[in-house]
Amino acid sequence: MLPFLRLMRNGLLAAKARLRGGASKLLPFLLLLPALAFILVLYVYPLFRSIWGSFSIGAQSLSLANYSKAWALYKKDIIFTIIVAILGTILSIVFGMILACYIRLSISRTSHFVNFISRLVIFFPYVIVGQMMRSFLAPHGLLNVILANLGIVNLDNPIQFFNIRGLLLGFLWKEAPFVSFLTLSTLQVIDNSYLEAARSVGAKTRHIILYILIPMVKPAVAMAAVLVFCTIISTFTLPYMLVTESPTMVTVDIAHRVTYFRDYGVANALGVCLYVLAAPMAVYYLRRTVREEIYGY
Amino acid sequence: MKRGVWLIGFMVLAVWAGVAGPEKVSLLYMTAGDINMLALAQNVLGPMFSERYPEVDLRTVHTGPGDAGSQLIFEKLRAEKLAGKPVWDVDVAMVHQVFMSWAMAEGDLLLQYAQDLETWQYVTSPHAKYALGVPVEGYVMPMFHSQVAIAYNPKYVPEPPRSYTELVEWVKAHPGKFGYNGIKGGMSGVAFVVGWVYWKTGKYEKYAITGPYEESEIASWEPIFKELKEFNKYVTITGGNVGTLDALNRGEIWMGPVWVDMFYTFMLTGKMDPNIRLVLPEPGLPGQPMYFVIPKKAKNIEWAKKFVEFVTSPEIQGKVIVEMYNWYPGIDGSYVKDYVSPEAYARLYRDITPEELRTKGLSFALAKYHAAILEAYEKWVIGG
Repeated sequence: MLPFLRLMRNGLLAAKARLRGGASKLLPFLLLLPALAFILVLYVYPLFRSIWGSFSIGAQSLSLANYSKAWALYKKDIIFTIIVAILGTILSIVFGMILACYIRLSISRTSHFVNFISRLVIFFPYVIVGQMMRSFLAPHGLLNVILANLGIVNLDNPIQFFNIRGLLLGFLWKEAPFVSFLTLSTLQVIDNSYLEAARSVGAKTRHIILYILIPMVKPAVAMAAVLVFCTIISTFTLPYMLVTESPTMVTVDIAHRVTYFRDYGVANALGVCLYVLAAPMAVYYLRRTVREEIYGY
Repeated sequence: MKRGVWLIGFMVLAVWAGVAGPEKVSLLYMTAGDINMLALAQNVLGPMFSERYPEVDLRTVHTGPGDAGSQLIFEKLRAEKLAGKPVWDVDVAMVHQVFMSWAMAEGDLLLQYAQDLETWQYVTSPHAKYALGVPVEGYVMPMFHSQVAIAYNPKYVPEPPRSYTELVEWVKAHPGKFGYNGIKGGMSGVAFVVGWVYWKTGKYEKYAITGPYEESEIASWEPIFKELKEFNKYVTITGGNVGTLDALNRGEIWMGPVWVDMFYTFMLTGKMDPNIRLVLPEPGLPGQPMYFVIPKKAKNIEWAKKFVEFVTSPEIQGKVIVEMYNWYPGIDGSYVKDYVSPEAYARLYRDITPEELRTKGLSFALAKYHAAILEAYEKWVIGG
């Protein structure tokens, strides 16, 4: 918060210095107004309404009943969501970084092709990913059939993927290319001379990745982790299409409360649980961007 | 330069003339339901209606499957009422039964119109009088009736279970070969659970037709749902209504509850093994109609009525609802028979006879019991 205020004050001082005069004092605020109004109406107001809604039942306000019901019925799902989000983020970062480093270091045609294909994936909406995974990962789906033909799996007792495994695969499939996309631009600006210098003293590829590339793109990786984590906890379509029963992710429960019970109270309480999960990430993200704005690093 | 001005003038005139031509009525039709409901309106009903009445253009808005789709329509109408608009946007809507319990409780949303229609005389379904225990006579016209039944693969199940009791025995003998989609992935799974409650309690009449709602009943369900939890250990949970159909088709499961219309549509489009058959076990499974409703202050009330009359006419009911979409007709089946090919009629009533449908085609529970059943399932079967 403090850096943000400082930023505001700096802006004000600058504006004052430049435009001395009565009406122009208001100018920075006027210029800010459209964007601010947009954020207030479309984000802040609904956010507070949903928090308020989570504490009210009918006309009676300020009760924890929605939370106790949410916890009683969905605690498994809340824990499951946290596990999926953490594992999904870690997997996506690891595989995304491997992909990015491969594309950065390799000069073969294949790597160009891989780069192109992986970028394509970013534009797939989750509903498409869900539909693909449904037929790909089904008990008699493509993956199990291939494994059965290789003699690894028995089709009478195939590997079950409509659970956390399928979810993680789905998230990995979609988010790893996103991580690689975000970090690759930072990797590309690292001068080749660093890598050549390291190689000339005998560094292997894995040394270059671990001790040069990754440390230099750490901020970008952290940003990617924040975005991936928030995407995973807020995604509805993939869990809805793959794992509808218990445990499933909280977003499915929110939809279920609204659809079948028109119960916005418990749905809001579940929503607030997701805000609480996302909040540390948001704070980190904001601090980071504000710091970059002010100090440039 | 001058020529340019003339040209622009002509263009403006031409556009204006185009706009001012004979004005078409655009009838706004909002439909809940699966994507097939949108296709039905856009590709079939709309063009057919415009062919008969060229001055009308049917505009369809699709709000999505399940109760959520109906919920959006309810919210739209309620918002229009609360805003005090003199004329509302939606002319005619297609909704689930649960919509009626919300709309009738809210009040002042719908027009009582059905008795004015030519086709009202063909309606004999009890669903046209009561929807989940709520009196709705005159406010609704059923477009079709949809039924949940158990689909089975005769290759593995030569003698399908004829009752829930037999079904439970079969499932325990064949773990993982019965599949349904729980309660969060679509109504075919919900129907199976509701049928389970009717079977175990034997209180179908009270829960689905007469009421009253007694909260004290709910606690007595605990053992019933504990048994369902035990039963679920032998079951494959599929991903949605379509998930059950796909799993049947791929041979992953040998039996599972499905919507009859989706089942036959899958079969006709080559997405379902044609050998798979249907059975309606004792004491029966729920089904539901979908209703036409007309908002109280719709802009084109007369055209809306004409549209509903058109779709509920024996001809359209036979040719479209039964023949193309494999639904049971919304009006009495006897009026429809002349308009349906014998094959389609036989297909629809092959596994489940009209007699069986009358005795074992049940209703979903009253709204409050329905919610209680779902919540009991969450609490005692999957929760905690």
